[in-house]
Amino acid sequence: MKVLALIWADESGWERLSDGERREWYGKYRAFAEAAGGKLAGGDELAPTRAATTVRVRDGKTTVTDGPFAETREQLGGYFVLDVESLDEATKLAAKIPGARHGAVELREAAEEEAA
Amino acid sequence: MQYMLLIYDEEVNWAGMSEADRNAMMAEYFQFTEDLRKSGKHVAGDALQPLSTAKSVRVRDGSAQTTDGPFAETKEALGGYYLVDVESEEEALEWAAKIPSARIGTIEVRPVVVFPVEATA
Repeated sequence: MKVLALIWADESGWERLSDGERREWYGKYRAFAEAAGGKLAGGDELAPTRAATTVRVRDGKTTVTDGPFAETREQLGGYFVLDVESLDEATKLAAKIPGARHGAVELREAAEEEAA
Repeated sequence: MQYMLLIYDEEVNWAGMSEADRNAMMAEYFQFTEDLRKSGKHVAGDALQPLSTAKSVRVRDGSAQTTDGPFAETKEALGGYYLVDVESEEEALEWAAKIPSARIGTIEVRPVVVFPVEATA
């Protein structure tokens, strides 16, 4: 099954890190990705939410606003796509994502149909 | 450049639709996805199972805690996403506005960070 692991963390903490500290975190993420191997089907780091834009269409009119959909204490900073046998396996893998130690990893199962 | 188009809508909107309306909406999604694929801008995408199946994992002091439910309770919830590879943010916003749920929910457009490890190493 395909499970999306959404990584929520305080992005201001990330921005306060030195270059060296960031390299250390990237190293941890790289180690996680290498250990997870074939269980990873994708993943990305997202730019900070100040680069986010939201789009709504009402009565045929498009409204574009700066900022994320919702202001939250922790922000969506990236994700992995997990290719696993069960939600239990996804949970165990999620606990190894470095961000789980200071933020939270939200697991969302993908729907079967290929609508997207 | 790649952008995540995050689709937030109210699950109750989907649940409250008649079967015909839901089928029409699904047909629109299939059409949108096909258009996006044909344009060569589609990288990935998924519809997500309802929030009732969500779990959140946190590790504190070496111990993993798993709770049922999403990270944050919001009126509109993440229901799916597309990952697109486009020429500009403007183009990403244009595709976002064509997603059927843009009419009933909100599409959050987030730039993807390109190879930060290699770039900073």
